[in-house]
Amino acid sequence: MTVKTWMYSVLEAVQWEMRDDPAMTWIFELTPPVASNPDMPVINLETEFGKKRVVNTGIDENWMCSAVLGAGLAGSRAATYVPYQGAGMPFQVIQNHAGKLRHMTGGRASMPVVFVIEMTGQTPGFAGQHSDYEVDSAYMHIAGVRTVVPSTPYDAKGLMHAALRSPDPVVYLYPAGLRMLFEEVPDEPYEVPLDKAAVRQEGSDITLVGSGAGMPDVLGAAEILGADGMSVEVIDLRALKEMDTETLVGSVGKTGRLLAVDQSYYTLGPAAEVVARCAENVDGARFRRIAFPDAPPPASPEMFNWMRPNADGIADAARKMV
Amino acid sequence: MSNDMTPDTERQRGGMSRRGFLQIATLAGAAAGFTGTLARSENEIGYYAMDLSDDTLRHMLRTILRIRWHERTMADKMLSDPSYRAYNHFYAGQEAVATGVCAALRNDGPFDQIDLVYSTHRPTGHAIAKGVDMAKMQAEFDFRATGLNNGYAAEMHISDPDVGFIGADGMIGPGHVIATGSAFAFRARGSDQVSVVFGGDGTYATPHFHSALNNARLLDLPFIYVLENNLYHQYAHYSHSCPHADIADAARAYGIPARVVDGQDVFQVYNAAKEAVDRARAGGGPSFIEAKTYRYYNHWGAPGAEVGKLGAFGYDPLAISSFRPERELRSWMQRDPVDIARATLIDWGVMDETTADTMETDVRAEVDAAFAWAAEQPLCTPEDGLKHVFAEGVVAPRQMA
Repeated sequence: MTVKTWMYSVLEAVQWEMRDDPAMTWIFELTPPVASNPDMPVINLETEFGKKRVVNTGIDENWMCSAVLGAGLAGSRAATYVPYQGAGMPFQVIQNHAGKLRHMTGGRASMPVVFVIEMTGQTPGFAGQHSDYEVDSAYMHIAGVRTVVPSTPYDAKGLMHAALRSPDPVVYLYPAGLRMLFEEVPDEPYEVPLDKAAVRQEGSDITLVGSGAGMPDVLGAAEILGADGMSVEVIDLRALKEMDTETLVGSVGKTGRLLAVDQSYYTLGPAAEVVARCAENVDGARFRRIAFPDAPPPASPEMFNWMRPNADGIADAARKMV
Repeated sequence: MSNDMTPDTERQRGGMSRRGFLQIATLAGAAAGFTGTLARSENEIGYYAMDLSDDTLRHMLRTILRIRWHERTMADKMLSDPSYRAYNHFYAGQEAVATGVCAALRNDGPFDQIDLVYSTHRPTGHAIAKGVDMAKMQAEFDFRATGLNNGYAAEMHISDPDVGFIGADGMIGPGHVIATGSAFAFRARGSDQVSVVFGGDGTYATPHFHSALNNARLLDLPFIYVLENNLYHQYAHYSHSCPHADIADAARAYGIPARVVDGQDVFQVYNAAKEAVDRARAGGGPSFIEAKTYRYYNHWGAPGAEVGKLGAFGYDPLAISSFRPERELRSWMQRDPVDIARATLIDWGVMDETTADTMETDVRAEVDAAFAWAAEQPLCTPEDGLKHVFAEGVVAPRQMA
C-alpha cells in the first residue's frame, strides 16, 4: 500500500495490463499518459511501450474511439483517453456501434475496449462547454456498454483493471475534478466490480445516493447530518450501467427514505434512475432527488455555484425528509 | 504592472514592455532590419494594403496595439492582482492575423449585411479586431452581470452579433462546419456577406475541418477558412496531428484556393484576406488562408499565476512529451507583429515615431480604462442562471429541496 494520487492509481492499472498483454494499445490526444507520485517511479506509457502501441493523435475523438473499437474487433485489447473537451464527440460510435455490435452479430463480436471519457463539472467559470456534467446520463443510457464512474483513487484503479479485462466495451467516466485526490492504494493489481455500488457509510434514517464528482458533497452532507444526530447511509453508485439495484433497494428498504443527488441535469440523470428503481421495489418509502437544473452551466461563479448541488443543500433536503 | 512608467521610459525599453515577462534583452533594433527581407508570403507586402487610406492603416496598427495591451494587462492582472478573476487563452503574438483579416471585412451596418466571424477558444484578438467593445468584453471575462454576455459566457463563449462576431467556441471543430452553414444561408438569400472561421493548427485533425472544406467547395460557398498555424495545439506540435508542413496543402486538395502568409505581418494577412473576400462576394466560392504565427504565452492563464507554473507564463510543466523550446519562442519574438506593423507604416510615411508613440499611449489609457470599468461592474445574481435556457421563461431550480 502506498499513498497515491488518482492519476497515478489509474495509470498504474493501465501500465500493469499493458505489461501483461503486449498487444494492448492506448490512444490519447493532448493529455500525455504520464503520472508521478512521491516514492514511486514515474509512469510514462508512451516512453515505456513505444509509439506503435501508445499513440498521441490529433484532436479527433471520433477516430480515437473508432480505432479502439476496431482494435477490439480485431482481437486486441485497447483503450483511449478522451479529454473533456471531446466527451460528446465519439457518441455515435459508442452508442450505435460499440453498444450494439455484440447483439447485432448474435454474440459474435467481442469488444475488450475501454473508452475513458473525462468529465468536468467541478470548476466554475469555464461555462457551458467546459463546466458541464451531462455525459453520464448520455452514456449510461446506451445498451451494451458498461458505464462506470469512480469517485476514489482506490476505485479508479480497481475499476480500470476490471474495465480493461472485461470482454464488453466500457465507458469509464473520469471526473477531472477528482484527479488530485489521493489515498492508500494497493501496489498490486485488483478489480473493483463493474456492477456493484459501494456503501460508503451505514445508517438507518435516510439513504443518500450519489456518484462520481458529486460524492465529496454527498459525503460532506452526511457529515453535517451526522453532527446533527442523523443516521445516514451513503451509497456511491460506481456503476451507472448496469446499476446495482439490489444494494439500492436493500438500503432504502431499511431506511425508508431516499435522497438521490446528481451533478448532472435533473431530467434523466442517474438520480432519476435510482429513484425509479427504488420506487418500483420499496413500498411506503419517501423519495427525493436534487440535481443541476435543466440549464447549461453559466460562466459566472455566482450563478454556477448556486446551481450546483452542494453539501449544505443536500443536507437541507435530507432534513426536510426526516 | 508598469502603468506608472512614463511613455518615454516605455519607449526606451523598445518593444520589450509589450512582452516583458520574458525579459528579452536582445530586441533593441530588432524590428529595424526587417523591411524587404521578411516577406515570406506568396505575394508582395503591401499589394492591396498600400492602396488603403492612411486612416485605415493607422486603424490597423491601433487594433494590433489594443489587442497587445489588452493581452499584456490581463497577464499582469493574473500575476499581481488578487481580486482579478478572469482566465484567458492568450493571443499575444498572433495579433496581425485577426487584425489583417477583419480589416478586409464589413464590420458595421445591419446584421443582414455585415460579415460574420466564427472564433475559437482563443477569441480575444478576433473579438477586438471585429469591433467588440473591449470594456464590455473584459467585464464578461470577469463574470460581471453587465458584461458582453451578462456573465453567462466568460472568455470561451463571448458573442456579439451586432458586429458580426458570432462568437468564441470552447470546442475544436464543430464551429467550422457551422460557419459554412452561415455561408450557405448567404448564398441562398442572395447576400454578398462572407462567413469567416478562425481555426488553429489542431483543427486539421478533426473530421469537421474536412467536412467544412468539402462542403464549402461543393456548394461554392462564400466561406473563408483562416487557419492560424501557431505550431502547437495546446501542448503538442502540429506534426502530431497533420502530415503537411503547410496545412494549406490540404485545402488545395479539396479544390479550394489557398495562400500561406506570414502571420506576423498584418499587411500580408490583409492582402490574402482581401483577395478571399473579393472572391467570395463575387460568387467565386471559398478560400483558405494559412497564417504562420506564434503564441507568446502559454496555452492559457489564470489568476494567481506564477511565472513558469501551469496557467501562468513561461514554460509549461505539462510539456512532458512535446513542447516548444525556449529558443523557438525567442526567435519568433524577434518578428513581433506590433514592431512590423509600426515600422512598415513609418516606412510608408503614414506616421512617424512620435505619432506612433502617442497612439500607443492612447491605447494603453483606453485599455486601463476598460479594465477599471469592468472591475466596477456588478456581480451576477445567482437565480439568473435559470434564465435564457429557452427564449421565454425560466427553468426550475432543482439543486435544492
